[in-house]
Order: sequence, then structure tokens, then C-alpha cells
Amino acid sequence: MLIGIDVGGTHTDGVCIRDGRVEAMAKVPTDHDNLLATITEALCAILKDCKGAEIRTINLSTTLSTNSIVTGHTEKVGMFVIPGPGLDASAYALGSQYHILSGCVDHRGAISAKARVDQIKPMAKRCREEGIRVYGVVGKFCTRNPEQEMAIAEALAPQADFVTQGHRVSESLNFGRRISTVYYNSAVWRTFNAFADALEQSLKDLNIQADINIVKADGGTMPLKLAREIPVQSIFSGPAASVMGILSTTAVTEDALILDIGGTTTDIAVLLDGVPLLERDGISIGEHPTLVRALKVESIGIGGDSFISSRDGQLRVGPDRHGPCMAAGGPAPALMDAMNVLGHAAFGDRERSAKGIKEVAMIQGLSARECAEQAVSLAMDILKKKVDAFLAAINARPVYTIQEILEDRLVRPASIQVIGGPAVAMSPLLEETFGLPVVAPKHAEVANAIGACLTRPTQSLVLTVDTSRGSFTVPGLGIHKTVKRTYTLEEAVHDATTMLRAELDRQGIPAEDGDIQVIQADAFNMVEGHYTIGRNIRVRCQMRPGVITTLAS
Amino acid sequence: MLTAQSSLGIIFFPAFDWAISPTHPEREERLLYTQDQFREEGIFDIEGIREYRPLVAEEKDIMRAHFCFPGVQSVCTDSHFISAGGVIRAAQLVMQKERQRAFAVVRPPGHHAMRTVHGSRGFCNINIEAVMIEWIREHYGNLRVAVIDTDCHHGDGTQDIYWHDPDVLFISLHQDGRTIYPGTGFPSESGGPKALGRTINVPMPPRTSDEGYLMTVERIVMPILDHFKPDLIINSAGQDNHFSDPITNMNFTAQGYAKLTQMLKPDIAVLEGGYAIKGALPYVNLGISLALAGVDFSAVQEPDLDREKIREQKSTIDYLSALCDQLPEVYFNPRPSEAVRESGYFVRRRSIYYDTDDITETQVERLKDCPHCPGLLIVESETAQTPKSLGLHVPVQGCDMCSQEAEERFAKSRQAGFAHAQISDRVTKRYEYAR
Repeated sequence: MLIGIDVGGTHTDGVCIRDGRVEAMAKVPTDHDNLLATITEALCAILKDCKGAEIRTINLSTTLSTNSIVTGHTEKVGMFVIPGPGLDASAYALGSQYHILSGCVDHRGAISAKARVDQIKPMAKRCREEGIRVYGVVGKFCTRNPEQEMAIAEALAPQADFVTQGHRVSESLNFGRRISTVYYNSAVWRTFNAFADALEQSLKDLNIQADINIVKADGGTMPLKLAREIPVQSIFSGPAASVMGILSTTAVTEDALILDIGGTTTDIAVLLDGVPLLERDGISIGEHPTLVRALKVESIGIGGDSFISSRDGQLRVGPDRHGPCMAAGGPAPALMDAMNVLGHAAFGDRERSAKGIKEVAMIQGLSARECAEQAVSLAMDILKKKVDAFLAAINARPVYTIQEILEDRLVRPASIQVIGGPAVAMSPLLEETFGLPVVAPKHAEVANAIGACLTRPTQSLVLTVDTSRGSFTVPGLGIHKTVKRTYTLEEAVHDATTMLRAELDRQGIPAEDGDIQVIQADAFNMVEGHYTIGRNIRVRCQMRPGVITTLAS
Repeated sequence: MLTAQSSLGIIFFPAFDWAISPTHPEREERLLYTQDQFREEGIFDIEGIREYRPLVAEEKDIMRAHFCFPGVQSVCTDSHFISAGGVIRAAQLVMQKERQRAFAVVRPPGHHAMRTVHGSRGFCNINIEAVMIEWIREHYGNLRVAVIDTDCHHGDGTQDIYWHDPDVLFISLHQDGRTIYPGTGFPSESGGPKALGRTINVPMPPRTSDEGYLMTVERIVMPILDHFKPDLIINSAGQDNHFSDPITNMNFTAQGYAKLTQMLKPDIAVLEGGYAIKGALPYVNLGISLALAGVDFSAVQEPDLDREKIREQKSTIDYLSALCDQLPEVYFNPRPSEAVRESGYFVRRRSIYYDTDDITETQVERLKDCPHCPGLLIVESETAQTPKSLGLHVPVQGCDMCSQEAEERFAKSRQAGFAHAQISDRVTKRYEYAR
């Protein structure tokens, strides 16, 4: 039996799934000041119908880390960065204790200037005096050679409860993003771990002995044990839970558009051959881009509660929301009210809807019906334009090989999958606007919790080998060793997949043979003066993202 | 967060699946470390800098700038159409004002490709700058363009294509041709009879470093640019003046390149040569990009830089200083043309060697001495592989008379015994091969 819980901004949804069927579901209000109570409440509501002892795993999508960052309830972090030459590292400064060290690692992982451990002494002292207990250490090109980061982290260890090292949070290149990723990881570390302790205790009290996984923004999960080390990976998991919910309820194998239509906004995401498309580098926290892998999602200011008004003689819809729509007792007419007037929906108090729309219609000199029609068509126009721009941007994404240019694989959605409150009512309109079949999956109201429940763990591994220098680096596992000069791409693919499998075993993540996927395997000849001096080998493999099972229909 | 002062579009196309041959300098790996550096420095996270994918150029884009024999497809691979499409994209971004500046970091390069193409010279088949400039002039009229070629090798291809064009100023700064490929690019090469002083060659002694190079730009290039007042400045940004380049002998640095870019303020920069792919390109490309965008580049530096080791000797600076005194004369007071005139046409008879493909071309070029325009260009060309072929080019400033003559010659090309004939009439926009 599997449990999925998605903590959302207003509601927390929970489901219990057994043998591909939803056995129980619950919806409780979210108390942001006491998430544990909210989660326990949702759990108990589900457990009324299910037995605790049978629960195998609990997957949790939580706003805990996101909220502590957004509300500024984070811990002070002492940052130590090793930029070497290049862009000014002070541009990435976060927190009051941000220290730039000497030292330089180049793109090959060669150390041309050593970071001096004794250099940090006065800086470390200042951090101690400020009572700082968590730290971050980030070097430029640390993913090619983590030695310097490790040395600095070791020097900080005596005064630290936790040190995040750049090479452990992501294998991707991007120094600035790595700095913010590391900073936020340390900043939420204590909050997340306190929560994890309390969660484990309360499950124990409920007599539940299940594996706990945390949902990530890339649509995968990670075991709680790993999440304790890299809690930053748990941010912004909400949209991912929804998208995975759709994948759990319908088997989509072609390109598709996903619209999660809420009260204020509609989130757009895209499936490429049924696989969700990821952000190229990672998600941003406010103004700070990070390396946290995330599904590519864009919010449009159109939702069921989008405010309908007449401004400067023009009829407008959204992007703001003035409370719920009038049909739900709100103060001002909204998109859902227009849908009620047109008979697309029969939601709440339809007389209030009619009254609200009529007021706007009078100003416009229209009948209520005309006004509702215009408002709805305006909303659809906005949606269509934004979706088209979203797809155009994806289709214009840079590629780096002639083959890709000539193939020109464009994203062309064959269907639209919709979830969210107003989704069903809007389906016919969307079908007309986009000229595509619109599918609203079963259990759309708790699709996010189903997604959380059924999504599988993801994990990736990058191996970089430079045979001319004899270096072998797997930053995610903290491996940096020497390798023979005759090392080949085939050996690298074998080693990378073997190491990933061992790591999955270590974390207790079950993986079938086909689950480990090699997504990049390149070997570039390195030439100096017309002689081949070695090979630059890059292998990236991952546990294939996806869902455990698709719900029986 | 870092913000660009000038918005910049970078067309980054490393062509990871293309090489001239496995150990050739122009191979898959060439831009790999530049990409690593761009990514690690996060330059596409700088507000105002965006990455774009190249377009794929069409045959007519190539035919505006070149005569290709026996045909476009036989001298171009997909990689050339994409590299040319990359610079067209750069031009599009700037001309449509989507970006203030653009940098085409694409390969293969192009500045050794001359008007007539039978194969690859100096790793170049298609002159991507010329393809771009002619695309711009086709769509936006005859703009005045300055091309500043800062590759270490003489830009003999670009020089050839614009030799007779008074509206394109071509300045090449390069290591002295007596010491390096292609062995040309001397001050006496100063443009055809209709475009005298529009070609400027600045040969620099080996081991010129930042001080000498930047002085040369300041004292020769900048005053000429100020006077010429181009609508567009293009920089053929070869990176092989770098102190670590394996096939040249100069001592320029990433800082030097960035400062050079800051002085030139090109609207569009195009990568040309540069084969120190690990030690130079990552830093030079970064320096150029930041300078184009107006972002602080003062801390960009090669990890192994030793300034004392690469500084010029006083004799080098003195030599360059004397050059700086004399060379502006080539533009401001050009010597009378020594072009040979035969019955109404200026004639050049040449033999051109394609080193990369080992082809020798024999060529007769005739420029009509037209009173109304820079004149119809007629090229007769043959190689051991390709029999006598005819190329007819009516310039973008061309007149009806030249257009008509081109038409007539094209129609009679078979009778006149040409195996292949190409017409590129920029006035009527006719780009065709004879059947």
C-alpha cells in the first residue's frame, strides 16, 4: 500500500493506493505554521479506511523548505567560495558572511592555484562570533575536481553542524547557480531535519513502519535519508506532483500539453513523447537561479477566479484575483462567473454570477451574455498566446549537433491534459481554442497527491574522464581518482551505470534493468600538435523518471 | 545579479558531430571547453545575454557572396550551411533590433574563402561574414559595412570578396605574411581600382602582445573607422593571436581580446580561427562576450598567464609605432591603382591554391570599368577536377547596363564553352546556374 501526500498552498491532499486503485483520499486545510499537524491529520483521515501496518511507502511533497525560504525563516550560512579568474564572484553574494578565497581549478579540473586552508582562519572566526553553525563551500569547476572544496569543508567541520559542498548538490556546471543552491541547502538544513525527526517520530507513534520519500521538483522522489543531506531538492515540488499525477492516471506516450488550472493561475508544462520536459539548468528561488532540477513550468495569470473588469473602456480578464468568484461568495465577478452565465459550468450560486457579470456588462454597454462571451474568449486568447510562446521558446532551444539541427525535433502537442478546479468546465473551450483533444483525468481533484504517491525515485550520475591527465571524477559521489590512459568510453558507460546501481542499492531504491538510462555518452579526441594525447569522456546516466504504475481505469 | 549594458545574443554552435579529420585542429572538440566555461561562468544567466540556435542557410544565401563550382552542394556540407545560418541569425537579431549586439560562436570558420570556391582553403569553404553581409544588404539595402578581421592570419578570402566594393571597408590585422599562412596581407594590397583604400592590411611582427596590438588598433583602425562612419561594424574574431596558440607566433591575451572588443564596439562578432582550444578559447570567448555585453571583464584571465614572459621587446613596439604612423595613409591618401585595363575591363590573372583540399585553381577576373556602378565582375575559373567555369556577379550597387551584360553572357555561356556558369545579380536578385 502506497501513500501520497501533497502539501499545497491552501489544501493538503492525501491518497492511499493499493494494487493500482485509489483506496482512500482526503483533503484538509494546510496550516503553514504546523505542517506536521497538517500531514498527520491527512494521514489519519486516510487511515480511517486503511491499515497503518500495510503501508509500504509514504511519498511526501512538502512546501516546508520553499516556505522557510520565501518567508525568510532561514538560518544564517557562512559561505566560502573559490572562484579563480572570471566573472566577479561578489555578484553571487548571499548572506552577511560571504568569503571569497584564492585558488583556481580550470575546466579540466587542473588546480593552477591552491586554496589555502590557513586563509580562512580569520573568516571562520568571524562566523563563529556571529554564532553561525551551518556553512557552504563552493569552488568554480569543483565538479571537475572537488579536492579544494573538501579541504575547506574539513577545516570548517569543527565549528559546523553541517557543511554543504558544491560538488554534492549538482553535477551540472554553473558556478553562480551552485552558490545559491549550496546557500539555500544549508539555510533550510536545520528546519528540514527537525521536521524529518518529528515526522519519523509521529509515524512511529501511529505505528507506521514505511519508507519515506520526498518529492523533488523534477518529478522524482528521494529517500528521506538523502533529503536530510540535500533538503534544497525538495523545493517547488507542487507542480511536479501534479504533472506526475497526470502521468499516473492516463498513459500518455506522445507530445502533450499539461494545463493545471487553478484559481489565480494556470500552470503549463509539456510532455515530450510522454516524458515531462525539464528546465535546462534549474529552478529559480526569487532572483536567484539554482541548479535544482525542475520540470519546465510556466504560470499564466488566468484561472477560475481571474477578475473580470472594465478598465479604460476595455474589458479585461486577470491577471489579478479579487477573492473567489461571485458564485463562491466572492466580492467581484470572475472567469468562473462568466462560464456560469454561458452555461459552461454550473458552479455555486449562479444567480450571484449573473448579477456580477451584468454589472460589468452595463459599463461595456453589452448584454450579460455578450459580456460573458467576450470575457471567456479573451481568457482563451491569453492562454493560447502564452502557450504558443511557451512552445515556441522550447522549439527554439539551442542544440549543439548538426544532426539535431537537421532533425529539428519540434514539440507538437497531440492532446491537452487538464487538471484543477475549473478544468472540466473549461475543456470544451480549450478544445475549440487549441484544436486539440482535451482529456481531464479521473480523480483530477487529487491528481497531485496521486502523482506524489506513484512517482518513482530519480537519481543521476555524471562521470567525467580526461585520459590525458588520467583523471576520473564523479562529483555526486565525491569520487576523484586516477585512471589508466587507455580507459575507453565503453568502460566509462559500464562504470557509470554500475556505480549508479550500487548507489541506488545503498539508498534502498529498487531498480529494474531497464530503469537505468544512459543519457549522454561522449568521447572527444584530445589533440595536441597533431597527436592524439587522450580522450575527454563524459557519461551521464540516470534512474529513468516515471511512475510506479498507472491507475487502473 | 549581473546585468548587460548592451543586450547580446550568442549563437553558440559547436557542431559536436563534425570535423575535417580526427586529428585536424578543426574538429569536434574545438568548442567543448568554451561551452564548459560559458556554462560554469553562467553567462546566459546574465540579464541581457541570451543564447540562440543557428538557422540553416539556403543556397541563394551562399550564391550572393560566392561562385561555387561545380555547384553549391559540391563545396558545402551541412556544417557549412549551419555555420553560415548561424551568422545570418546573428545579423537577424541585430537588424531586427531584438539584440543590440550578437556574437556567432560557430564553426567551421570562413575568412579564407574567396569569391570563387572549389573547396576548402585554410579550413574555410564558405566566407560566413560575406554571406551575412550580403544577406543584410539584400534585406536592408546597401549599408556601409566595416569588417575588422582580428584573426592571426590574413583574411585573404574576405579581402578578395570586397576587393572591388567601395561600400565595404576591410581592415585585416594579422601576423606578418612573410612568417605565416597564407603569405599575403601587405599594405600594398589596398583595394581594386573602384575601391582604392577600402582594403587595409596591417601586418604585425611575431610576438606582438597586448600593448602593441591595442596601440595598433587605437592608432590605425579607430581613426579610419571614425572617418568611414560605417552603418555596421563586423569583427572577424579569430582567436589565434593568443600566446598559447599552436599554429601562430603572437602573444595576445584574453584581456587583450576583451579590450580590443571594447574599443571596436562591433555590432556583430564572428568566431574565426583559434586552435588553443583548452588554454585560450574558453577565456578569449568569455572575454569577448563580456566586452560585447558591457559586463566587467577585468578578472578574466588564463590560469597560466605570465605577463612578463610574453611582453613585447622595445624593438617590436618601435616597429609597430612606425607602422602606425604610415598605415592610415593607405586609407586617407591611397596610391593610384596599378590595375591592368584591357578593352574596358580591369583584369587579374591568378593561380589560387586550396591548401586544405589540395586544389589549384587558375582564374581570370574581369571587372567592367562601368561609369555608373562598381561594375560587373566576370570570373573564368578552372581546376584539374572542374573544367572552365564562368561566374557573373552584378554588385549590389549595380546598374541596368551591367545587369543586362551579365544576362547576355550567362545565356551564351554554353556556346562560349563553359562547363558551368553561375549568375549572381544582386540588382534583379537572380541567383542561378546555367543548365
